[in-house]
Amino acid sequence: MRDMSWNKHGRLHDIITWPEREEVDKYIYTPGLHGLELAKALMDGRILGMRCSDGKVYVPPKTFCPDYSQGELVEVKGPWRLQHYTVVYEDLYGNRLEKPIVVGVIKPDDADLGMIHIVNVDPSAVRQGMTLRPVFRPKEQRKGTILDIEYFEPA
Amino acid sequence: MGMVTNLFVKDRVAIVGAGITTFMRRALETPRELAWEAARMALDQAGLTLKDVDCVVIGSAPDTFDGVHLKGEYLADGSGAIRKPMTRVYVGGGTGVFVPVSAWWHVASGLCKTVLAVGEEKMSPAHPHPQYVFRYIWDPIIHRPLEPNLIWIFAMEMRRYMAKCGAKKEDIALVSVKNKRNALDNPAAQVAANITVDDVLKSEVLVWPVQELDVSPVTDGAAALVITSENVARQVTDSPVWIEGVGFTLDNQHWENRELAFPRYLNYAARMAYRMAGIERPWKEIDVAEPYDPFDYKELHHIEGLMLARPCEAWKLLKEGYFNRDGELPTSPSGGLLGVGNPIAAAGVMKVAELFWQLRYEAGKRQVKRPVHRAVANAWGDLMQAGTVIVLGN
Amino acid sequence: MSVTKLPGTKLGSKEMYSLPGLVESAPQAKYDFSAGPTISRFLQGLKEGKILGRKCPRCGRIYVPPRDYCEYCHVALTDWVEVPDTGTVHTAVVSYISVRRERLEKPEIIGVIRLDVPGYPPNGYEFAGLFHRLCVPPEEAMSDEVIGMKVRARWKPKEQRTGSILDIECFEPVR
Repeated sequence: MRDMSWNKHGRLHDIITWPEREEVDKYIYTPGLHGLELAKALMDGRILGMRCSDGKVYVPPKTFCPDYSQGELVEVKGPWRLQHYTVVYEDLYGNRLEKPIVVGVIKPDDADLGMIHIVNVDPSAVRQGMTLRPVFRPKEQRKGTILDIEYFEPA
Repeated sequence: MGMVTNLFVKDRVAIVGAGITTFMRRALETPRELAWEAARMALDQAGLTLKDVDCVVIGSAPDTFDGVHLKGEYLADGSGAIRKPMTRVYVGGGTGVFVPVSAWWHVASGLCKTVLAVGEEKMSPAHPHPQYVFRYIWDPIIHRPLEPNLIWIFAMEMRRYMAKCGAKKEDIALVSVKNKRNALDNPAAQVAANITVDDVLKSEVLVWPVQELDVSPVTDGAAALVITSENVARQVTDSPVWIEGVGFTLDNQHWENRELAFPRYLNYAARMAYRMAGIERPWKEIDVAEPYDPFDYKELHHIEGLMLARPCEAWKLLKEGYFNRDGELPTSPSGGLLGVGNPIAAAGVMKVAELFWQLRYEAGKRQVKRPVHRAVANAWGDLMQAGTVIVLGN
Repeated sequence: MSVTKLPGTKLGSKEMYSLPGLVESAPQAKYDFSAGPTISRFLQGLKEGKILGRKCPRCGRIYVPPRDYCEYCHVALTDWVEVPDTGTVHTAVVSYISVRRERLEKPEIIGVIRLDVPGYPPNGYEFAGLFHRLCVPPEEAMSDEVIGMKVRARWKPKEQRTGSILDIECFEPVR
């Protein structure tokens, strides 16, 4: 069987490489059906969840339930508790952050599943189950994305 | 027509439900929600719920269009695939027919009894224009330095077809006229219109000979099918639509080394599907077809590849009205991609859904004016490479 | 189907860009493609002003652009042969749009050139060929006479060749 191994007839410096850029300038993502309602609520300083036919409430709302029916939008008031967390020391590119960030799954008592966000607390002070509350940005800075909540802080 | 014995499988496979979303240039829904809407409609039509579904097949392009990577996983909960076996398939535009083909073998192998097959595409997030994304399919070293736009390759094929077969622009434009008019009766249609050949010839010249109205649009949309084994089908409906043959082939990427007037990649896939379905003379035995029509000349190209007309003859038959809804062999009664829209991975599923409704006489105003027993749909993908074919029967 | 209103929520262009909750993201992907040993050699040949093809030792088929394996024999291709830089036009088109779907000031004339490489039947389905520009004016590209027209590669001057497909400027008619 003929061996095609290229290191017999080619050498590394004979190989030409071609640089190439990414294929689009940018992507613009629409929020979706429930996402649009959540966006409007966030701009208003409120957080929404979705109630499904099995009684469970999901945060954030995702339009459809596990049984495929459309969920019903409800407002979620808290209190919020930190379910799980981790401490992040490096950014996306591997550079050391000045101040480590605590990221956690935060669940309100009036819902069954939580959402991910930043917790504004010192890593040494963070405790699983601690009570938190959302801190919204000033109204004129809100755009309807999850970043309208600047972070969660101990209540 | 006697019952065709399929030598390859013991248990026949049927489509029992179909669903589609509206096809639109920009959707509010996220890709997950589009998949959910189409899949729910399909399940509702079949009278089944998510609990009844054993396996899920998803077809969607990778992140290039909608900017979401790991598409199979992302679409999984929109497609009912949580805690179920899920297969993701993609062969460019060929995915649309490859999704039901893949669902077919999930059932035919005995692994699954009820499969939810979903095709979804959201192209609007890509900026500056989704068409720009297609530059990524060209060979990076020997093609891309020439800065080709995707439409170039279609224009080259169209030109060759015109030169070899003697077809003129006004002959080929009839496909666009026919399909957009057919689409007026399709509630999902994005670009249905009553146009004339003149309108096509006066539209903006993009890459001569291709003009604006020769091309299908950029679309967001989803379509889904429920595919089951014979036992389940008989419990669920009186009129299952049997999948009698499947075919799929990949040619090489070097389309600059082939005669562009005939789609060999499709012909091989078609032969595979016809052999399985026991069809020896497709031009006589097929009653209605949905050939893939991202461009108007492509429908003619594919009609010939599917052996529904002799090479270079399709445009002549088109002129005689042979392929109209009230003709001998109606093609694209749905309105096709030219009339309904072209969400890359979902367009073919839409075509199969249309044949599903046609074979059950449920297509309403779009129903073709002749009895239908056997139908064929095809989809095409990549650089004149991927051909996928499915043969259905009632 | 009996429903007349299908699921799905259309957005107009202005509507979409004024939605609350839109998220924008620019991908940071950069790639370095290796041409591989075969295409690297092909590009080297272009730099030297030659079109190289690669021959299958079993069936003798010469592939342009060259491959690593024969598609029919599944055997590694070995010998490199120089093929004529002449051929006939298989198809030709005139592009008025750029790769970004913008209007071009000067149209691009491109096509597929069937090269005069021996071993392929004259009207066969397959042939050795290249996708490249044609140096003819748009009117000529749109005429019937251009299909089957004899052409030859117009090479860039030696000092401008870098080992790229663009070392051939275009294919020009042999008059």
